[in-house]
Amino acid sequence: MAKTEIQTHGLGSGPGAGTAGDAAPAVVLENVSKSFGDHHVLRGVSLTIRRGSITVMLGPSGTGKSVLLRCLVGLLKPDTGRVLVFGEDVAALDETKAKDREKLFAIRRRFGMLFQDGALFDDMTVYDNVAFPMRLHTDLSEAEIRERVIDKLHRVGLKGGEQKFPAELSGGMRKRVAFARAIALEPDIVLCDEPSSGLDPVMSATLDELIMEMHRSLGITFIIISHDTAEAKMVADTIGMLANGHLVAFGPKEEVFREDHPAIHQFFARETQGPIKVV
Amino acid sequence: MSKLAATIDAYWNKGLAFLRFAAHALRTQLTTLPPRDAFVSQFVDAGWGSLGLLTMLTIFAGLNLSVQSYGSFERFGGQDLIGMFAGIGGVRELFPVMAAVVCGARIGANLAASLANMRISEQIDAFEVMAVDPMRFLVAPRLWAATLALPLLCGYADFIGLGASYLGAVYQLDLDPGSFLTQVQDQVRMVDVFAGMFKGLLMGWMVAIIACFHGYTVKASDGAEGVGISTNLAIVHGAVLCIVVNLLLSWVMYG
Ligand SMILES: Nc1ncnc2c1ncn2[C@@H]1O[C@H](COP(=O)(O)OP(=O)(O)O)[C@@H](O)[C@H]1O
Ligand SMILES: [Mg+2]
Repeated sequence: MAKTEIQTHGLGSGPGAGTAGDAAPAVVLENVSKSFGDHHVLRGVSLTIRRGSITVMLGPSGTGKSVLLRCLVGLLKPDTGRVLVFGEDVAALDETKAKDREKLFAIRRRFGMLFQDGALFDDMTVYDNVAFPMRLHTDLSEAEIRERVIDKLHRVGLKGGEQKFPAELSGGMRKRVAFARAIALEPDIVLCDEPSSGLDPVMSATLDELIMEMHRSLGITFIIISHDTAEAKMVADTIGMLANGHLVAFGPKEEVFREDHPAIHQFFARETQGPIKVV
Repeated sequence: MSKLAATIDAYWNKGLAFLRFAAHALRTQLTTLPPRDAFVSQFVDAGWGSLGLLTMLTIFAGLNLSVQSYGSFERFGGQDLIGMFAGIGGVRELFPVMAAVVCGARIGANLAASLANMRISEQIDAFEVMAVDPMRFLVAPRLWAATLALPLLCGYADFIGLGASYLGAVYQLDLDPGSFLTQVQDQVRMVDVFAGMFKGLLMGWMVAIIACFHGYTVKASDGAEGVGISTNLAIVHGAVLCIVVNLLLSWVMYG
């Protein structure tokens, strides 16, 4: 574990930030901490995600970026703090209570999630994977579903091969199918855990364009985890940086670059020396 | 000593977790209909997929019953009792229990491995995030499939096993076919077959709930090794439980 002292940047974080002028924020984290045993992964993270923004969260491997995403959808429960999604505190919901579970499910229906390794259903074809959420949560006819599935698959650059099973696909193809599945219902918020890792640069750029296109046409809020600084520069309007469990920088892209925070600088300059240390 | 206490504590917690899981799963199983496609594919997997193995094993077991009992009964001229022996020992105990243990192990291993694999590859989380109850979509169809397939397999094992005993007795050991059949008719009642199938029903559910528990609760961070461990535990715990429960049931039904 990297042990470093990093000041927490106040930039744009904290409840209330970003609410000025526009609608209520999509997501607000207040002082979220999460440990596994004596391993403190998140240490008091606070941030606000504006509705209709594209936030890219950067950070070295193993700093809890995936843990953070999982807290948003209630797959993990933070030890302390609040996770407000459209005003509802996900962290306070008790899954063993039927009523809370219903609330949680109602919130989750507003999310689409691309897992780090795709998490495609092994026993379903590509087609059925993308059709699954539509069959479940909409009244669309099979013909309408077909049209949408094919459209989504075309958008991620997959023509043909709808009847293949995930095991028959390359890693990059699986990821694209998983992205198609995540946006299948055109949800309010799409979470992407490292969408570009494992993709070639051209495919990665195609996916970035798709993200921006979905953002423009549907106003989807994206929260994207990435190692890819080029991707962050291209798609983000907000950039966050997580290191050692702290949110060391968070704010509008131009501001974050202008401030030239050491951790951000190190990340973009690909320097081995700096606040982020590999032990 | 504190190590022992910690071990006991760990088992205790695991036991509690199992009971909670089983209660939740049973509630889901009984209050919601499992998705049809998932159930059908699980049922075909559990039932049809076990037929080859079960057929082969019960043929050998049935033949063996005849051959073994012939050796013992012949000494006092009682070789004609083979039909009775195969009927009682086979239909009441050997065939259904063998079906339950062997097919149970096979089915349990499959269930545990498939769920564990879905856990480590985050497929179960994906269900959760899609606001789908994995208990209903993944666990319940598996429970129903095993609970309904195993009694059918037990009934099937009776016929194949008894048939093999008959063929062995008549064609290998030259016994009188009429006497074999009369004894079977005298000794084996249809209710014995149903009792075996009832055992299969109970064991099917128990094997499945244990397997689902081990598979479902595997830690994602344990990776492929976790899949192996959970599969192993499913087989061992399922088989032990089958034997113990069978003994208890035999006591209750025939004791
Ligand atoms: N369910 C879990 N149980 C125990 N430790 C976990 C769990 N999930 C994540 N961790 C640990 O938390 C740390 C952060 O993990 P993660 O969020 O996946 O990192 P990343 O920033 O690369 O996505 C890692 O050290 C990981 O081992
Ligand atoms: Mg990660």
